[in-house]
Amino acid sequence: MKFTFNASPNLRQSQSTKQIMLELTIALLAVFGFSLIYYNSVFGSSYAIQEIKLMLLSLLVALITEIAFSFFTKKDKTFDLNYVKTFLSGSFGWVTAIILTLMCPISIPPYALAVATFFSIFFAKLVFGGFGSNIFNPAAVGRAVIFAAFMGAATDVVTGATPTGVIASEYNWLVVNPEMIQEMMNEIGGISTLFKGWYPGAMGETSALVILIIGVILAYRQVIDWRVPVVYLGSIFILTAGVAVMRGVGSYEGLPGFIWYPLVHILTGGVVFGAVFMLTDPVTSPTSAQGRCIFALGAAIFTVLIRIKANLPEGCLYSILLMNMLTPMIEKGLEGKQLALRKKATIIFSVVALVGLGSVLLAGSVIEAKEPAPKVFISTSDKDVNKFEAKIVSKENQDGGLILYKVDAQGYASLEKADQFNSFDILVNEKDGAIVSVVPTKVVDTEYVGDKIMNTAFLDQFKNKKLSDKVEVEVNDAVTGATFSSKSTVRAVEEVRKDLGY
Amino acid sequence: MSLFRGAMRQHIKGHKELTEHEDVFELKDTKYVYIPLLSGSSTKLDVFVKEGDKVCVGTKIAVCNERNIVPIFSSVSGTVKGIEKRMHSSLKPVEHLVIENDGEYTKVKSFEPLDYKKADRNILIDFMMNAGIIGLGGAGFPAYIKYKFAKNVERLIINAVECEPFITADYKMIQSHKEEFLTGVLAMKKMAEAKEAVIAIKKTHPDLIKFCQDAVSGCEGVSVVAVPDVYPMGWERVLVRELMHKEYEKLPGEVGAVVNNATTAIAFGKALLYGEGIVSKTLTISGNAIKKPQNVTVPVGMPVNEIIEACGGYTCEDVKLIAGGPMMGKTIVNDKFVIDRNMNAITVLANQPFDSVACLRCGKCSDHCPAGLQPVRIAQAVKTKDKVAMAKLCANECIECGLCTYICPSRLNVTENVRIAKRQLMMTKK
Repeated sequence: MKFTFNASPNLRQSQSTKQIMLELTIALLAVFGFSLIYYNSVFGSSYAIQEIKLMLLSLLVALITEIAFSFFTKKDKTFDLNYVKTFLSGSFGWVTAIILTLMCPISIPPYALAVATFFSIFFAKLVFGGFGSNIFNPAAVGRAVIFAAFMGAATDVVTGATPTGVIASEYNWLVVNPEMIQEMMNEIGGISTLFKGWYPGAMGETSALVILIIGVILAYRQVIDWRVPVVYLGSIFILTAGVAVMRGVGSYEGLPGFIWYPLVHILTGGVVFGAVFMLTDPVTSPTSAQGRCIFALGAAIFTVLIRIKANLPEGCLYSILLMNMLTPMIEKGLEGKQLALRKKATIIFSVVALVGLGSVLLAGSVIEAKEPAPKVFISTSDKDVNKFEAKIVSKENQDGGLILYKVDAQGYASLEKADQFNSFDILVNEKDGAIVSVVPTKVVDTEYVGDKIMNTAFLDQFKNKKLSDKVEVEVNDAVTGATFSSKSTVRAVEEVRKDLGY
Repeated sequence: MSLFRGAMRQHIKGHKELTEHEDVFELKDTKYVYIPLLSGSSTKLDVFVKEGDKVCVGTKIAVCNERNIVPIFSSVSGTVKGIEKRMHSSLKPVEHLVIENDGEYTKVKSFEPLDYKKADRNILIDFMMNAGIIGLGGAGFPAYIKYKFAKNVERLIINAVECEPFITADYKMIQSHKEEFLTGVLAMKKMAEAKEAVIAIKKTHPDLIKFCQDAVSGCEGVSVVAVPDVYPMGWERVLVRELMHKEYEKLPGEVGAVVNNATTAIAFGKALLYGEGIVSKTLTISGNAIKKPQNVTVPVGMPVNEIIEACGGYTCEDVKLIAGGPMMGKTIVNDKFVIDRNMNAITVLANQPFDSVACLRCGKCSDHCPAGLQPVRIAQAVKTKDKVAMAKLCANECIECGLCTYICPSRLNVTENVRIAKRQLMMTKK
C-alpha cells in the first residue's frame, strides 16, 4: 500500500492549458477556413493553395526553430525525441505561427513570412525564457518585423487595394462630407461587406462576423477573458464616436456619423482579430481582471491615435506591443487585495479614459478631412480654349433640319506637336441652334487621360445646349491632360457656333 | 460578470451522490481509542486521568487552559493505558491519551443539561465553553468566543453548505438530529442576540432545504436560505458576501454577522439536551479509491485504518489519503492517525499525477480567489524572494481554500506557493 503525499488541494478542474491552446488552435483554423473559402471562390484555387503553402511554411519554420532551440539548450546536446516532444507540447509555437500567418496578406513573399516567424518564435519568445515568460506578443513582433523590413514586398495588383489601405491612404481615416462618405463606402464596399469580411485584406483579419462568433464561443468556454475584447472594442467605438461628433461627420445611409464612423474603425484592419486573438494573450497581458480592463483601454487609445495621426495605416498591432510594455507597470499599480483595489482601479481606468479621449480629440481636431475635389468649369472664355486652333473639316445637312459638322481641334497632344488634332462629330439643329450630340471620333491626346472625354456623362452635358448661350461644361477630374481634352471638345463646339453665326 | 473583479468562486463537481443516500453506519468495535491532547494549536493541556484509571463515555479527561478554555471528554468506556506520541491529522506529532475500550459504552453526564429558554446569554456562553463546543466546520476554534464578543448582531448564519466535494456528513447529521439541531440553532440565536437566524443550504439539495424548512416552521426569526452550489460557499466570508452583500476586515462580527456550522449547532444542542460533549463524530468516508463510500459514526480517537477496513478497504495500491475533503484536507502518508473532534471526512483518491506546464499568467487564480488575492503575483514574489511584494499582496490573508490550484489550467501548485509566502512572512514577523 502506498500513500502518496500531495500538497492540498487534491482536485483539478478539467480545463488544462493544453486544452486551452488546442481550442484556440481550432478557433484560429476556423478563421483560416473562412479565408480559404473567400480566396478560393473570389480569386480561384491557386490563391487558396498559396494560403495553405504560407501557413505550412510558417508552421515549419516555427517547428524547426523550436526543435533547434530545444536541442542547443539541452545540457548534454543529445537528441532525445521525448524531450523534444515535451518541449514542443509545452511551448505552443504553432499558435504563434498561425496567428502571424493570419495577420499577413496573401501577397506576402514566403521568405518574408519565414523570417518573421523566426523572429517571433526565437527573439520574441524563446530568448525570454519560452512560453509564459515572454513580454511581447510573439506574433505581433513578427508582424512588426514585416512592417519594418518587408513593407514594400507585400503588394499584389489583384488583392492590393484593401479597405484599410484605401481608408488610410486616400481618406486619411476621416471623411466629413456626405458625398465623400458615399464615395468612400462605394470604394470599400459598405459596412455589411466589411462586417462579413468578403474583401481582400490580411488573410485572417477581414471577417468581423466570423471572428466575433468565434470570440463569443471562446469567451463562453473561458479560453479568453471577455473583458478584453469588450473594453477594447467598446473604447474604440466611444473614442472614434467622439471624433465623429467633434468633426461633424455626416451620415451614411441613415446612420449618423457617430454610429457608422466608429463601426468602420472597428470593422477595418486587424481590430477585431486583435481584440479576440491577440490582446487576450494571457502571457503578455496583466493577470487581474482590473489590470486587463486598463490594458484593453490603453490599447484602444493607442490604436485610434496611431490610426488617425501617426504615419502608419494600422494601429492595432503597435498598440498591442506598446501595451505589452506597460503590462508590468499596470501589475505593479494593482498589487494587493482586489476588492480593496477596486476603487483605485476605477480611478486609474477613468483617468486613462479621460486622458485618452482628450488626446484622441486633440489629434482628431488637427487631421484634415478628405474633401471632394473642387469643381472645374470650362467655357469659351477659358484662355486655353481660346488658344487652341480648330477647323471645320466638313459640314453636311441631314434630315430634320440637322447639320453634322466634322471638326478638328487642338488638344493636349498639340502642346507638343501643333499638327495633332482631335476629331469630333457635332450634330446641331439648324433651326434653334441646339446641340444634338458631340462625339469624339479620333482622340490623339495621351492614352488614359484623353479617354476621359469619351465618358458619356461628360459628353451628355452638351446635349440640348443652345449655341446662343455660352457653352460651359463641368469637369470632374482635374487631371491636367483630361482637362485639356475637355477644353479641346469645347473649342470644337465653339467653332460650330462661330460657323452658324451665333 | 463584473468588470473589475473575477468570479471569486467556482462550481466544483460534488460527487455527493456517492454517500448522500446511504445510511450512516455506526462503528463501535475498536479496541483502543487515541484521544489527541490538542486544542487548536495548543498542546498544553491539563490531563485529569492517569494510567489504569477507569473512564466512561463523557468523563472529562483533560482541559486546555491556554488562551481559551476547552475541555475534552472520553469517547469510550474502559481503562486509560497511558499517553502516546502519534502523528496527528494536522501532520504534527501530538500526545494522545490511549484508552482501552471495554465495548460497553457506559455513559455519564459530562455536565448538567440546560434549558436554554430559561438561561440568559452569559450563562449560555459559559455553558458552551464548559461543554467544549468547538467549531466543527473544520477550524476547531472554540465556539463560545464568537458569542462572547458578539454585538449588534443582525444575522446568525448557520452554515449547512458543506462546499467541499464528497462530504455529506453535515446533511446526514441534520437529518438524523432534527431536535438537537433546532435546539442548538435557537440557543445560538439567543446567545448572539441576533435579529434572525438563517440556515444556508446549497440549492442543489432541495430535499434538505425542505427538511429544514419543515423543521424551523413555527420558529420565529429562523429561516432557510438556498445558496449557489459553488466553492468555497461554506467560508464565512463568502457566505456573508452572498447573504448580506457586505465585506469585513477580520471577523464577520464587524458587519453584524455570526457564522457557525450546522454540526456545531447540533453538538451544542446535544450538550444542552443531554449534557454530552463531543464524543463521537459522523464522517464521510468517500472518494474514488474506497470500496464502499459511506457515512460512519465513530468515537473520537478511532484510528483511520480501522474505519477504512470497515468501508471495504482501498481499491488501488497508490492512493492519496486525505484527512478531510479533497480541497482543504491534508494528505497523510499513513493511515494510523485518528479521528479528532473537528474532522468530518476522510477522502481517498487514486493517485494520478498532474501533468503541469509553465504558468501562462492567465490570472484565473486571481479571478477565482474568494479572498480577492492574486496568487499568480504572490507566486512571482516567492520566485524572486521579494518579501515586500508578498506583504503588499497580503499573502497572509490566504485561507488555503485551494481554489487557485484547482482552477490553474497549467496544473501548478499555486496554493503551495502562497503557503510558502505565508511562512516567510510569518518568519519575518517573529
